Amino acid sequence: MVMKMFNIISILAKYIFVFIIYMFIFLIIRMIYLDINSLSKHENFKGAYLKLLNRLEDLPYKLNDSYSIEEEISLGRNNDNDIVLKDPYISKHHFRIVKDENEYFIEDLNSSNGTYVNGERIIDVKKLTYGDIIKVGNIEFMFINQE
Amino acid sequence: MKKMNFKVTRNLLFIFELISLSLIFLYNWPNFDKNTIYLSLGLIVLVYVSNILLFKLSKGDHYIFLIICMLMSIGVIMIYRIDQNLGLKQLIWLYVGIISFFITYLIFKLYDNWSKHFNLYLISSYILFFATLVYGFRTHGSIRWLSIGGISFQPSELIKIILVFILACIYSDRTYLSSPRISKYKEIITMAIVYSFIAILFVQRNLGASLVFFAIFIGIQYIYTENSKYTLLNLMLFAFGGTMGYFLFDHVKIRFLTWLDPWKYIDTIGYQITQSLFAISEGGFFGTGIGRGQPNFIPLAYNDFIFSAIIEEMGIFTGIAIIMLYLIFVYRGFKIALKQNDVFYRIISIGISLLFGIQTFIIIGGVIKLIPLTGLTLPFISYGGTSILTSFIALGILQGTSEKYNHGGPSDE
Repeated sequence: MVMKMFNIISILAKYIFVFIIYMFIFLIIRMIYLDINSLSKHENFKGAYLKLLNRLEDLPYKLNDSYSIEEEISLGRNNDNDIVLKDPYISKHHFRIVKDENEYFIEDLNSSNGTYVNGERIIDVKKLTYGDIIKVGNIEFMFINQE
Repeated sequence: MKKMNFKVTRNLLFIFELISLSLIFLYNWPNFDKNTIYLSLGLIVLVYVSNILLFKLSKGDHYIFLIICMLMSIGVIMIYRIDQNLGLKQLIWLYVGIISFFITYLIFKLYDNWSKHFNLYLISSYILFFATLVYGFRTHGSIRWLSIGGISFQPSELIKIILVFILACIYSDRTYLSSPRISKYKEIITMAIVYSFIAILFVQRNLGASLVFFAIFIGIQYIYTENSKYTLLNLMLFAFGGTMGYFLFDHVKIRFLTWLDPWKYIDTIGYQITQSLFAISEGGFFGTGIGRGQPNFIPLAYNDFIFSAIIEEMGIFTGIAIIMLYLIFVYRGFKIALKQNDVFYRIISIGISLLFGIQTFIIIGGVIKLIPLTGLTLPFISYGGTSILTSFIALGILQGTSEKYNHGGPSDE
């Protein structure tokens, strides 16, 4: 009697098992998909960002095509910067860009080789406008603000 | 949104475990002991709680542990159904495994100088190897066990993880091997180290492990070497060594012959693999149902051949699902590596993902007769204390690397 009942339940359970396992896989893949999706949306920057003007292939180190500026972004040779440039011409903490009431300001952090905006070396802080070209060492970024 | 999805997934796992538990007890209806019920209920609660805990505790990857929980649940049900005593032992090992996962994860996360102990890794792996050779004892034709104070374990399982650390040290250029004077010979020295490991494993007749060691090495070398000539050289050495092994050693030859035509040797050396194939075909799409098949006909059904046993009773759909779960797991491992900025931790996450991926491929490929069979455990599913423990330690390390973003050990000034 028990054996008969067990057989029925076991046959039922095998379908339920397959269903649950596939449901489980489906949910995990969906979560991963949502994760990746939200990441790639993040790449289509809405607000302000820095666009790299050098060609990535020419550079001996790894850089992204563009960097979004949320509240603040920093560049330097040290690993704790948002943009890490392993270049001997770059200081450990080279410059940072700060957002203040919807306007962006670039600040040179006493770098030894200087930060140039549109060809001019900046002394402490300068306001950035659309299309400004920021040059450090031989790396060039364009500042783009879409707001 | 994401949090809610996690809750649903977690609950699915919970329901799966509860159903299978009740099924197992119905199977053993009149005689079951109370301890087993408490232990398995405790494990279900532990899995549930640790998933919630990890979600709160860890900023890194949340998928890998969830996937592994599903895999180990499928495994422990099957082992318990095949042999109750082993199932009970496996339950206890899973407790130990999950706890050691959290311990490893915390230690790995909090301690930062993992890349500075190259010599320690090297010496400890040689000591473990030679201790196995001298004091080890033999099972199923291979010397791979070491017994300390009554607890026996397989050192090669642990050395697999140490190998990943050794390679990570070397290829992230944090060792004296990268000093300008000897950096020319870096690849050769690395190869000498890895091949000495493989040679020892070969002497111990542990073919599966030596294959895994080689695969991890060649994978990491292929990604990080400055000179791809060496990868080619390694592949050629592998082909040469394999052919030599076929002619020189009987145990290599047997594996190869039974792979080509097991039916000719069905009564002797081909018995295992043919039984495994019978079991797989018996299962069909949905399997016979738990407790209704004959997985005991397969030798070592609880260990190397658990994949065939699972297919027999739970169907090829479950088999495919298991492979998919491993695929997602390895994908997450590579994803962690891609996000990681520090080369050392990046190599570690690649190495560990490779370890699980290759090991799964070799044993599943072996039991379905896709490639020659070599004895390995299916990570997180097969019975085996050392295997479960070291797999969970490796998982803890992977979880740790998923969080070490921008940490960087010594900065490259």
